[in-house]
Amino acid sequence: MIDPSVVRPEIALDDFLPIFVSSALVLVFGGFYVGIYTAVKVNILKKWTMPFAYLFWMLTAYCLYTMGSLMHVGDFTAKALVIAAIGLLLLPHAVYYMQDRVHKENEH
Amino acid sequence: MAKRSVWSDNRFWQRSAAWITGFASVLLIWLTFDTMAQITIGTDADIKNGVTKRVPAPTVINYKITYEMSTKRGHEVPIIGGNDGQGMSLFQEKELFFGRDDWSEEEAAELLHLGKLGSQVKNCMNCHTLLGNGAYYAPDLTKAWLDPQWGPDGSMQAMTGKNTKEEAMAEFLQNPSKYPTHARQMPNLGITAEEAKGLVAFLKHMSSIDTNGFPRNFGKIEGAVHGK
Amino acid sequence: MASNHLTGIGRESKQLATWYFTFAAILFGAQLLFGLVAAIQYVMPAFLFEVLDFSVARMLHINALVVWMVFAMFGAVYWLLPDETGIETVGIKIGKLLFWVFAAAIVVVVLVYLFIQVGPADEMSIWFIHEGREYIEAPRWADFGIVVVALGFVANLFLTGIKGKQTGIVTVLMADMIAFSGLYLCGMFFTDNISMDQYWWWWVIHLWVEATWEVYVGALAAYGLITMLGAHRKVVEMWLWIEVTMLFGSGILGLGHHYFWIGTPEYWWEIGALFSALEPLPLVAMFIHVLYDWGKTQGEQDAQGKEVSVIRNKPAFTWFVLNAFGNFLGAGIWGFFHTLPQVNLYTHGTQFTSAHGHLAFYGAYATILVGMMYIAIQGTNGIKVMNHTKSSIWAVSLLTGGMMGMTVALTIAGYVQVLVSRAQMGATWAAYFDGQSGIWFAQAMDWRLIMGVVMFAGFALLAKDFLTTGKAPVHQR
Repeated sequence: MIDPSVVRPEIALDDFLPIFVSSALVLVFGGFYVGIYTAVKVNILKKWTMPFAYLFWMLTAYCLYTMGSLMHVGDFTAKALVIAAIGLLLLPHAVYYMQDRVHKENEH
Repeated sequence: MAKRSVWSDNRFWQRSAAWITGFASVLLIWLTFDTMAQITIGTDADIKNGVTKRVPAPTVINYKITYEMSTKRGHEVPIIGGNDGQGMSLFQEKELFFGRDDWSEEEAAELLHLGKLGSQVKNCMNCHTLLGNGAYYAPDLTKAWLDPQWGPDGSMQAMTGKNTKEEAMAEFLQNPSKYPTHARQMPNLGITAEEAKGLVAFLKHMSSIDTNGFPRNFGKIEGAVHGK
Repeated sequence: MASNHLTGIGRESKQLATWYFTFAAILFGAQLLFGLVAAIQYVMPAFLFEVLDFSVARMLHINALVVWMVFAMFGAVYWLLPDETGIETVGIKIGKLLFWVFAAAIVVVVLVYLFIQVGPADEMSIWFIHEGREYIEAPRWADFGIVVVALGFVANLFLTGIKGKQTGIVTVLMADMIAFSGLYLCGMFFTDNISMDQYWWWWVIHLWVEATWEVYVGALAAYGLITMLGAHRKVVEMWLWIEVTMLFGSGILGLGHHYFWIGTPEYWWEIGALFSALEPLPLVAMFIHVLYDWGKTQGEQDAQGKEVSVIRNKPAFTWFVLNAFGNFLGAGIWGFFHTLPQVNLYTHGTQFTSAHGHLAFYGAYATILVGMMYIAIQGTNGIKVMNHTKSSIWAVSLLTGGMMGMTVALTIAGYVQVLVSRAQMGATWAAYFDGQSGIWFAQAMDWRLIMGVVMFAGFALLAKDFLTTGKAPVHQR
């Protein structure tokens, strides 16, 4: 289970900035994705903005990929990152579905 | 009204919360047992038998400690008493610590106890980092014992007028503001000679802890353990 | 906070809550004050040198932080308990007595920190001065005092929950608060083994702020959404259980990200990386949740042709929204970008951690607790719809703006440290000071101080608003 690639190869000096920027952007874009998705669903935003939500998810996934490759993550961490990305994709759908379900069941 | 589904059932989520929390806790407790076994402080017998422990016995202060690359693990590891060439400690080469290299298990443990108490009471952690945790107002102390600054080529021995690393450190700890190195100084904390000895033992012991290669490339610059 | 409008069931409990809130607000001010002292020392190291050293100022800064939050958390529970259970809190007399015990103990501890500062390296100092372990420095005698007070608090909560109506929110709080109090015990022993010491120390710190406190915030947010928006209890409570699932599911083992470099085995790399990567998800989900409830309730109102806002307490709601956002930003984004071991190897123990700590404590906890204080002010003054005053708007803007500015400054400082002191020079004493003396680092510290002053101004306005808004004419009574 030990993954020596955690510390080898070393991160190149010039890679630190892109790593920090891309990992911050992961959640910035992720936030836009879930934000737009939910806002459209509850009619705060117009329907046509929905594709932008998915566009932001794609940017999130791209940033995760960039971050992971610059950090030289091993197989295990790479899998964890993929799970996180898919989790983020599904999350607002699941949340909305469940919320709406309960809402409908409780409206009289 | 929509049909009742399991996903919108309060009880389902209540149970999920309980099960998942329970599962995560049990896993954490199980891992804790394993980790406890691995980080329990070693004994002098371990050192004598050449058994490498993540946290060695206090008597490690009788030995020479270095921080060297282990190709097998991909990072630096503490090497106690000489390197076998494969990145493992030999526990052979001794080093005088305050003039002695025969500190008994009790004496060494007593020194370490005093030093650890001192590290808390003197509030080291609210300026320095220990094992990387603490405040960021002063340098990390994890491998301070191995810092080239205190070695024969560093400036601290000459500054404090002492000939060994441990004596220089102890002198500095007792009168830190007498030896300012930067505008940011260490304050006088009323550390006695005995407490200073304990603190240096604590620092030497801490440098022998296997921290999975943290800090990275420690002492990479000139005159350091892995000077380039 | 006048309590003349506190009538009916739960009057006593709510009054106790206002005591807790008042003491918490004072400690919040103290926290900022000592933070300023420490920030000045970064810029002018001679400031109060050997009078009130950085170590003492910082200890007061972070201890005031922990204690004011615990006080406000206890207060918030005493506030919402009668609303949830429909009865007066059981054992409220003991609750009130314990408040005075707690407050007195804290005052003594602070005076000792300030005027005794350090002692000789022996057990007595650990028992009576401080323990010197970041965040939980309180001396051992105070530890026992805290345990007694926490037990009393948990007993109040349990007895009331069992006797009254046990809602989902109360159930979550009961489970969460017992874990919260129990975890404190892990920090109450001395060991010579620093790895062992830090292993258990993280049980307290991490399992508080990244697990039990987060769940507590979830419960508080649920209560707030019901009180302020009239959100459906069923929806909110189901959601709360999902949050508990996600928060504990990722947060408990997320503890692994503190075990990368303290002498603990390598398998924590994988465990820490996996669960840390998942930790932002519940924070994102909490953010969606607030947005969803707000949109839904407002949508229903709009559908009925009513033009008015559904929000019954605007300042509190502002702080609650900031909480959802700040939790995501401070704990989520600022946490995520240095949580993987590959990069944490370089960022561990730098100003990055400090940037994250500042924004996360503020975003995830300070915001919602200030919001609860506004809910209490609304209740104690019998206000139907509470509106913003000029000072409440300025307070929230300056506090949040100052905190954001400070976080950005500390992040830049951290970046310099990572590049210079860590990646290039290998973390020695000389490397450390080379990083600290860089122009970018020095300027970042100047900006941090300026932003700290901005925050302090924001706090002054917040305090003014707390004292005066109750009587302000802008509210609907």
